[in-house]
Amino acid sequence: MENLTALSDIDLIGRKILIVDDDRINLRILSGILQGERYQITLAESGETALEAYSKARPDLVLLDVVLPGIDGFETCRRLKQTYGVDGAPVIFITAKSESDDVVQGLAAGGVDYLPKPFKPKEVLARIRSHLQSQTLVERQKLLVEQLSKANAAKNKFLGMAAHDLRNPLASIRGLAEFLCDGTVGPMTPDQLDLVRTIHGASQSMLDLVNELLDVATIEAGELRLHLEPQDLASVLGKSIFLSNIEAAKKNTRIVQTEAFAASLTMIDQAKIRQVADNLISNAVKFSPPGSTITVVVHETAGIRGFSVQDQGPGIPETERDRLFTDFGRLSAKPTAGEKSTGLGLAICQKIVQAHGGTISAKNLPDRGCEFRVTLPCPP
Amino acid sequence: MKFKGSVLLVDDEPHIRKFVGLILRQFSVSAPKEAANGEEALELYAAQRYDLVLLDVNMPKLGGIDTLRRLRALDPHCVVVMLTSLVTRQVIEESAELGAVNYIRKDTPKDEISAALRETIESHFEPDKFENDSP
Repeated sequence: MENLTALSDIDLIGRKILIVDDDRINLRILSGILQGERYQITLAESGETALEAYSKARPDLVLLDVVLPGIDGFETCRRLKQTYGVDGAPVIFITAKSESDDVVQGLAAGGVDYLPKPFKPKEVLARIRSHLQSQTLVERQKLLVEQLSKANAAKNKFLGMAAHDLRNPLASIRGLAEFLCDGTVGPMTPDQLDLVRTIHGASQSMLDLVNELLDVATIEAGELRLHLEPQDLASVLGKSIFLSNIEAAKKNTRIVQTEAFAASLTMIDQAKIRQVADNLISNAVKFSPPGSTITVVVHETAGIRGFSVQDQGPGIPETERDRLFTDFGRLSAKPTAGEKSTGLGLAICQKIVQAHGGTISAKNLPDRGCEFRVTLPCPP
Repeated sequence: MKFKGSVLLVDDEPHIRKFVGLILRQFSVSAPKEAANGEEALELYAAQRYDLVLLDVNMPKLGGIDTLRRLRALDPHCVVVMLTSLVTRQVIEESAELGAVNYIRKDTPKDEISAALRETIESHFEPDKFENDSP
């Protein structure tokens, strides 16, 4: 990508300037001042002819007298802004009156500056140069933003495609390794079994990563679509807890749910909120020492429903707090049994919760561990 | 569980056919008929009816959804389970509307795939088509 931001290399030769004044002497003086700078000059003697000249010449800058026959300079400026909006050329008023009221009125009409008469050539040139430069910078900025958003969209598309195409082969590698592990296709020596388990584990973590990358790509491309239905939050969490407990048992860790509210329905996308719950609970298990108890609390206060997951891990260092919900924002805490982490999970959780109009936050608990709290709006 | 019916397995990726083939072996289906795309599947099905069709969604030539539509036109009683990688609601709804009886995500662990398949067989076939494992 070319460098679009350096100020020194801005070339103003050939920039088009429209000068509007009913006084021919003024027109001649200004043209004279600007001639040496190799600008392209267009002249107009009234507001109406200025509008016409603007649409033909499409100038980069307009010098506009205030007092004109027909519509005055302020009205001309207003019409230009109305027609061309923010993409229109900057307007500098020429004013013989130095009253500040006029200046204020001119700026309110959409002007960016004013030139007092009589003209001082150096001042005229300096002001024009400065406005042309800043306008060029704005244009370059726009171009840059456009290029960057295109590049970002291309990145997301590529990420999505790559992740998608990697997924099936990875699923097969893992699945076939599972068959080798369980002896379906014949017995294996302990050494062989060890290798196959490694293949199984490695393909499992790659599959997790690819799935999360795909989620990120989908979300960033603006394709996260929620399918909202009234659901019992406690029972959605219950399913997540039930399955997570199987995995947690390997670390002798228990997940318990307290105070389930009966029959409180919340408008959520069940699968997506399950994903958030699964993620928060599996994080809690990962970062708590073996033998811990993870507590899941469903709560409801004043029109807001939600849940919290409390772990018994080391908590979140204050200095790493702002990295928590960013993509690949892995913190210094390490999983306590060598589990894998992609660093994408919480970023995905946050985007899902925000898409529901809710919030997700984390705080350290007084003794040890931390609490992740999700709130979801529930209209009465 | 032992499944006594015939199976047509449709997926363009050979490794997926191998993987799902091994799952089918657990159901004592030793040699499912395989097709690599929708066109092949339709040709095979037109020549001979299969009790159960496992059908991939994303395939070259003729995709899963279009294949499903034509299979069901050919035989309204055809029992089809969709094999998906990306589950979008659109795919689920579309295939359910067209009469698929279930969908299975290919990236779920094999035991979960087996469980889904068992459930499908139990609820969509007469008891003479399968035998549950003796407890």
